[in-house]
Amino acid sequence: MRRVVYLDNAATTPVDPAVLEEMKPFFTERFANPMTYTHSSSGDVAHVAVEEARVRVASLIGSKPEQVVFTSGGTESDNWVLKGTVERASRERLHKPGHLVTAEFEHHAILHSALALQRQGYEVTFVKVGRSGIVDPDDVRRAMRPTTVLVSIMHANNEIGTVQPIADIARVAHDCGALMHTDAVQTVAHIPVDVNALGVDFLSVSAHKFNGPKGVGVLFVRDQTALYPFIDGGGQEWGLRGSTHNVPGIVGLGKAAQLGKERLPGELKRLTALRNMLFDKLSARIDRIVVNGDMKQRVPQNLNIRIEGIDNEPLLLAMNEAGIIAAGGSACNAQETLASHVLTSIGCDLKEAKSSIRLSFGYATTEKDVDYAADVIPGLVRFLRSMA
Amino acid sequence: MDKYSRATIREFMSPSNIGHIDKPSGVGRITDNADAVELTLFVSVDAGHITDAKYRIAGCTALIATLSVLSKELPGKTIDEALALDMSYLSGLLDGLPESKWRCAGYAVQALHLAIEDYQIKGEATAG
Repeated sequence: MRRVVYLDNAATTPVDPAVLEEMKPFFTERFANPMTYTHSSSGDVAHVAVEEARVRVASLIGSKPEQVVFTSGGTESDNWVLKGTVERASRERLHKPGHLVTAEFEHHAILHSALALQRQGYEVTFVKVGRSGIVDPDDVRRAMRPTTVLVSIMHANNEIGTVQPIADIARVAHDCGALMHTDAVQTVAHIPVDVNALGVDFLSVSAHKFNGPKGVGVLFVRDQTALYPFIDGGGQEWGLRGSTHNVPGIVGLGKAAQLGKERLPGELKRLTALRNMLFDKLSARIDRIVVNGDMKQRVPQNLNIRIEGIDNEPLLLAMNEAGIIAAGGSACNAQETLASHVLTSIGCDLKEAKSSIRLSFGYATTEKDVDYAADVIPGLVRFLRSMA
Repeated sequence: MDKYSRATIREFMSPSNIGHIDKPSGVGRITDNADAVELTLFVSVDAGHITDAKYRIAGCTALIATLSVLSKELPGKTIDEALALDMSYLSGLLDGLPESKWRCAGYAVQALHLAIEDYQIKGEATAG
């Protein structure tokens, strides 16, 4: 059988078998609508499962269960918090268009939501990010205005994995009377995430980034009155997010959160070691190789490297032919021929951005996988460089 | 979907005619930093016919595969026949390149035109 080494866990992860097992009955015999729990014992089974999942997620991120609002994923959570807070504060408190502060290297779920707000007349500042890939809280402070409603800075960048000083940035936001949101899709279950230690008012979570199912996520909401509902409908999720609960997905998210919490300390160490091992081996075998972004202040599962003199597109295809799955930019814009906006935002020129690849690790990644990648990739780089 | 055909992947994984020609009749060079392309195409021409084509390339998969099929097509062709080779024909040889890749793969055709122009200028200079 063809060997496949999957090093694209930042794009998505496989559902853990234990997660799948826990989800299965909720597709079939436990199919009832949790909102019917008041009069239906079947509904109550589903309701209890949803609430148990809520407790598990709360335990993973250090929040109260009633601050965990289920959504369809990270993108929905990001859209909701940006639009819901800025629109509400603008209409009800400021009586003029409010202001949002975010960073140039955010995920498109944030950037495109911010641009949508801008099109509607709200004001947005995109803070610049330096070569390290880390936002300077002082730059955020300089961007603040009396009308700033929300600061949204991702916890770790999805392409280069750099971890941001969220607690410091939250202090800046709060000093100026603004709310703080972080997109923690790349950090939850990978590094310790505690909403109180971070001092955030909102935090986005996506299940499929830590061995949960796709199509389900969370917005941690500290104060429900700070934002408008995102989906008007039934009374689900305190009326904040209508639509019948995705019970199997939520149950899967809950299980993934439980497993993620149990595994975190061990995985943090293991993946950091694997990641560093791969970089050490690659840099011993390939010359002119550089890490994009700070290597220390980075999630354990991410390695983003620039290999001079090659184009990442043929390298990724050749790696795929050899059974190694990795990424150029993020998976969400893999079809674009443009260079990664994240890499250009941290000062890479187009050529540098197009010679970069992201290798991202997960629970299933083994030392053998790393050895295989370290053995195969240098040959492919030589192959491409030999054409030039 | 912007997906490469198997023929394109096969061509790119074992490209033909990578290299250079010592005393080429014409050379076409293209550098584009935004596309991360560095390309040199060498052609030999004898008695009005292309006899050899080689290239050095740093660029995308589509361009590498296109250069490979182009370099195999050129030998034996007259200058006019070579100039008639276009992306739609070369794409066909690769079982169809995604349309979004035509622009970048088109550097292969541009380089050929530059190489032929170079050959013709040299010829005029020699004649003059």
